Amino acid sequence: MGKEEVEMSSIAEHHEGQATHHGPPPPPRGWRRLLYPGLLRAAWMVPLFFGLGSAIVVLCRWWGGWHPIWFGEIIVLIGALTAAPIGFLAGIGAFDYWVRYCIGAPTEPEDHSRHGAYSWRDYFRVNTDHKVIGMQYLATTIFFFLAGGLLAMLVRAELAKPGMQFFDNQTYNGLFSVHASLMIFLFVIPAFAGLANFVVPLMLGAPDMAFPRLNALSFWLLPIAGIMMLSSFLVPGGAFAAGWTGYAPLSVHQPMGTIFFNMGVQWAGASSIMTALNFLVTIITMRAPGMTFWRMPLLVWANFTTSLLVVIATPFIAGSQFFVMFDRVMHTHFFDIGAGGYPLGYQHIFWFYSHPAVYIMMLPGFGIASEVISALSRKPIFGYRLMALSLMAILVLGFSVWAHHMFVSGMAPWLRVPMMITTLMIAVPTGIKVFSWLATIWEGKLNFATPMLWAVGFVSMFVIGGLSGIYLGAVPIDIHTSDTYFVVAHIHYVLFGGSLFTIFAGIYYWFPKMTGRQYNEKLGKLHFWLTFIGFNLTFFPMHLIGTQGMPRRVSDYDPQFGNWNLFISVASFFLGASTIVFLYNMVISMRRGAPAEANPWRALTLEWQVSSPPPIFNFDEIPQVVGNPYEYGVPGARHAVLNGDRAPTEEEIRSH
Amino acid sequence: MRRGSIVQLIVIGVLAGAVASAVALIPDWLPNSASREAGRIDFVFWFVTGICIFVFSIVAAVTVYSVWKFRVKPDDDSDGPPIHGHTGLEILWTAVPTMLVTAIAIVSAIVLAKDDAAGANPLRINVYAQQFFWSFDYPGYGNKTSAVLRLPVDRSVVLTMHAKDVLHSFWVPEFRQKQDLVPGLHPTLHITPNKVGTYSLICTELCGLGHALMRSRVVVMQPAAFEQWAKKKSK
Repeated sequence: MGKEEVEMSSIAEHHEGQATHHGPPPPPRGWRRLLYPGLLRAAWMVPLFFGLGSAIVVLCRWWGGWHPIWFGEIIVLIGALTAAPIGFLAGIGAFDYWVRYCIGAPTEPEDHSRHGAYSWRDYFRVNTDHKVIGMQYLATTIFFFLAGGLLAMLVRAELAKPGMQFFDNQTYNGLFSVHASLMIFLFVIPAFAGLANFVVPLMLGAPDMAFPRLNALSFWLLPIAGIMMLSSFLVPGGAFAAGWTGYAPLSVHQPMGTIFFNMGVQWAGASSIMTALNFLVTIITMRAPGMTFWRMPLLVWANFTTSLLVVIATPFIAGSQFFVMFDRVMHTHFFDIGAGGYPLGYQHIFWFYSHPAVYIMMLPGFGIASEVISALSRKPIFGYRLMALSLMAILVLGFSVWAHHMFVSGMAPWLRVPMMITTLMIAVPTGIKVFSWLATIWEGKLNFATPMLWAVGFVSMFVIGGLSGIYLGAVPIDIHTSDTYFVVAHIHYVLFGGSLFTIFAGIYYWFPKMTGRQYNEKLGKLHFWLTFIGFNLTFFPMHLIGTQGMPRRVSDYDPQFGNWNLFISVASFFLGASTIVFLYNMVISMRRGAPAEANPWRALTLEWQVSSPPPIFNFDEIPQVVGNPYEYGVPGARHAVLNGDRAPTEEEIRSH
Repeated sequence: MRRGSIVQLIVIGVLAGAVASAVALIPDWLPNSASREAGRIDFVFWFVTGICIFVFSIVAAVTVYSVWKFRVKPDDDSDGPPIHGHTGLEILWTAVPTMLVTAIAIVSAIVLAKDDAAGANPLRINVYAQQFFWSFDYPGYGNKTSAVLRLPVDRSVVLTMHAKDVLHSFWVPEFRQKQDLVPGLHPTLHITPNKVGTYSLICTELCGLGHALMRSRVVVMQPAAFEQWAKKKSK
């Protein structure tokens, strides 16, 4: 062990030495800085592209003889929501390589000089290093997590008492709509993509993702989507207020804020699809020698299935939002019954994405839970192959259940029973995973460090969310509880108790690897317990007021629910405040935490076999994978052989 | 496993089951029931609750026991037993949940079919929703219109839904039944009120600015009183 550590640190030094030779070229001085890719160039290219987009609109309208020639909504759509973001991407340099290639200019040789981050400024540049991109993802998504959380606090402030307190109805509807959209599209989905960006190539024994430039581009689409959704509060008429579900025809006839949602989803969705394609190609083609599919860690399996879901499903939500927007700005009639439109079609298309999206937001969390629970129980994951197969089962079944969101929607009544059966059946693979985690901790040597607390907390909360899902899957109960606070409670148990708990587990688990420093264990545990208690006090009573008759998405409610709502609001402020502990821990630990060992959890997967933080090119030599990733307690078992070690022979294993 | 630990495990499971049952039984989870359909839906609710308490108790017992018994001291670096799986167990926890959810699906499908079947000679009413009002019209009574839904007790009612602008949803918690109103579609909802009283009708599909306040009343009356009301104000 000791010898290995010495070797590791010498490798790290070796890499740092190498890096100084390879660092990015110094930026030019004087006016040429304006042409150098970065935020400065973006600062003038954004207005330029906005101007170009607006000019196209004005010219077309003038040429077509349409009045008014200067039409605000179309200018916003083409100029601000389409052209300006492209200007931003061009400005920061996301397209530089391809543009040079297309116009025949000499392209920069891929010497990986854009790899690694040498100062905080490098995180604000286009960087093709998957580890830097992973950190960029995490910082960005945590920012939008805080924004979405503050919106939730405003929602709870309004609901603390019956009657109207602080906001008018339209503003209130905007608050919960933007809250949900940010949490889904700008936090949960990309936060998992960020963690996977950092970890998956390392786990595979790969030097980077398959398409590093595409990886950088897909990250930079995210802040665009987030700023778009947030800035909808500033336009006349306020933020989009038809819920994150944006059901037509209401969404077609809302104020202008709606197109910020329609377009925000496009940018976030494009980011999601590009990342998923990148993961798929990386996982299929860049596994280290010996890393067969049945030797991949379950986190890799989880991201493989998630990426398939993303690639297949996301175009449907993109389509649904385009249809709404086209009805609005191009006067198509997708959802206009006066002209033969079909409003229910929106819901079918929307949920054909948005139900698989539930698994997009959960499967990576399953992967994280498997990593953490196995390593910190010091036991092989129980039923590895069935764990991987149940991910595949969820992937396939996940596409056959979408209409369970529509049991009361007025769709063809016969469709309800088959959709109920598939919905209830999906509890089986999910149950297999839960039971397998429990069997993994059984008789283990449980180390309740912070990541383990979050992972076991996740399993217990997810069970409650899964069981309330059974209620909602049974059609007669769903008819009563549909669109009530029971549903709000259910989705928060699966997305907060499920996704968010595993994101926290992942952040704490890989924090030493990502930053090279150890987080503060006491603060981590405090954060878990405050969140765990606050979460249950906030969301459990919502089940009750829901079945008793409180509908969701209302700014005012029957006074009989007043006491519970006050209780929930107070609990939610407590829950919100617990996030401060997390932020404080992250900030001080990143600056002053104790230096982390290469492998503080004594885990077997490949990312822990390199230094913390990993060398710029991950591995000195391509590792040779020789066994399964969770062989804890198996004498002499190895997952991989690195840096000239030789694999143990059969006799050596037996003699152990 | 020693016999002692099995006993401990069962004790924790029973305790967890008791706590879950208390949570299920002490608060009034469901509002008063005022329709025949509500009685059946409540049956499904308690059927599922029973199964959920059973599953929850097992999971809670294993989790609590493991957290209590298998945690190690910080200086213990040893590994756990290298157990990779157990085919019998894996078959068991695939088969048992499959049977449980199949039971839930069968019960639900039967109740759904019964709730959807209107009795002989149902009272037909058209429900109209627009931002942010409800109105009702009674084709059997000369298209009499009303802003309050009045229903006779113990008679099947078939409501035909009409949305004039955007989506709305018809929900009376005491009846349990719910149906969205969709422009261009006319789904029906079947209710058999069985308790005289006044209930609130709530719109449960986000319909814009006034959604939170889009409410009306439902009055369930004795048949004679209903006939009298329905005929008196007929146009």
